[in-house]
Amino acid sequence: MIDDDFQPLPEEEERRIGALVRDLPPPAADPAFRAHARQRFLSGRSRAEPAKVLALPMPPRHRVQAFAWAAAAAVLVVTSVAVLNRGPAWQVTSVQGDGIAVVNQVPIPLGHTADLAAALRPGARLRVPEGTMVEISAPGALIIQLMNGADMILPATPARWFGRHVTAELARGELRIHTGEPFVGANLMVRTPEADVRVTGTTLAVICEPHGTCVCVFEGAVRVDDRHAEPADVPEGRRRFVFNDGRIPETDEIRPVEREMLRDLIEREPGR
Amino acid sequence: MPSGPTHPPGESVQDHVAPGSSPTARRPGLPPAVLEKVRERDPAALAAFFDRYFDQVYATAHRLLGERAAAEDVTQEVFYKVHRAAHQLDPARDPAPWLAAITYNACRDLWRTAEHRLAKKSGSIEDDPALAGRLTSGVNDPERDLLADERRRLVQDAVNRLPEPLRTSVVLFEYGGMNHQEIAELIGVNHAAARKRYSRALALLATMLKETLG
Repeated sequence: MIDDDFQPLPEEEERRIGALVRDLPPPAADPAFRAHARQRFLSGRSRAEPAKVLALPMPPRHRVQAFAWAAAAAVLVVTSVAVLNRGPAWQVTSVQGDGIAVVNQVPIPLGHTADLAAALRPGARLRVPEGTMVEISAPGALIIQLMNGADMILPATPARWFGRHVTAELARGELRIHTGEPFVGANLMVRTPEADVRVTGTTLAVICEPHGTCVCVFEGAVRVDDRHAEPADVPEGRRRFVFNDGRIPETDEIRPVEREMLRDLIEREPGR
Repeated sequence: MPSGPTHPPGESVQDHVAPGSSPTARRPGLPPAVLEKVRERDPAALAAFFDRYFDQVYATAHRLLGERAAAEDVTQEVFYKVHRAAHQLDPARDPAPWLAAITYNACRDLWRTAEHRLAKKSGSIEDDPALAGRLTSGVNDPERDLLADERRRLVQDAVNRLPEPLRTSVVLFEYGGMNHQEIAELIGVNHAAARKRYSRALALLATMLKETLG
């Protein structure tokens, strides 16, 4: 840094520049840093300590492999059981009338039963046209007929061993339901705007009418919950009407025409 | 206390006594009794020592390094070393120059790291045309020059852009409470060279500030 040609400032100028420098305020430390540094100084730990890495003991390799095999086997078993437990797919077993059904907002002509069946997934919304009937079934276990403009969210078909409680929703129209021997132990809930209909093994109709829901039981027993009072069991040969205006539900004999329609249904073998 | 800089005989007081007009330099030191307690690492004495000298250490580090994060790292390093070497403290002497020397050495270690050299390459005045223009062009705004804050900022920028050896001379002399002889011993040059560095630093500052501050 020695420079022989360097000419220093005149003494007065040097003092002036020095004064300018000395006039600078000291840089202020962050109070948080100051407090932190003070605490560390008083404890003798002023230098930032390197982060300690906690090394977890590694399990032996053969144990890792055994765990991996066990996990893979468990996944395989669970997957297999889930596949085997799955209920059958919905089938379209009968169609009456012409028109276009709508499945999840996709129009499908009623005559295209294969396309219609392929679209019937659990949770799908199925609407059938007025004056037509579409019969779907889980072979051997369950038949459901959708009539008079039924608008329904499909349930899953009851599974084999577990997951046998399924739920459908009927917004309007009519359903006629018949269960077969394999349905024993399963449970189908049909929810309408006014009622929850619990089916455990029977033949019945669930009809959404302008003033409420009518549940007609041809065989077995059905529990109807109108969501306002105690659930009621509807015995064989009776019907229960749940009003949508708050009136007390009414129970009566099923109408002859309904009896005949359900008799026709019960004579069908589920899954045929 | 480590062997600190001393005033060599036969030299003028003017050369050895720092101006000492900065707030840090003017503050009285701790009483010898407290420093004796610091040697024993008495918690209360350590607290008093920290409170008295923290600002000086941090300010010196900040002025030498020109950035907050590095100054904080160096400050922690300095106080770590002080804690470890507390038993060497000489209660009869003001610790300020000793702390300034430790601070300078910590900064010098940082300057020598590759990371710092790399970062410093982007800190040249040439990379700040606006500042360079303000400091060296003929543009002169009398109204702005009258604002003290603006003047201080310009001076601070100029100090920050001094080459490291020159900035070290200015910072240690003006703020560190060290005289030229102590600085010379610290940085490993003779007294005349240390004095000349200081003069060169002021001359360079004057050049940079000439057009701006008049």
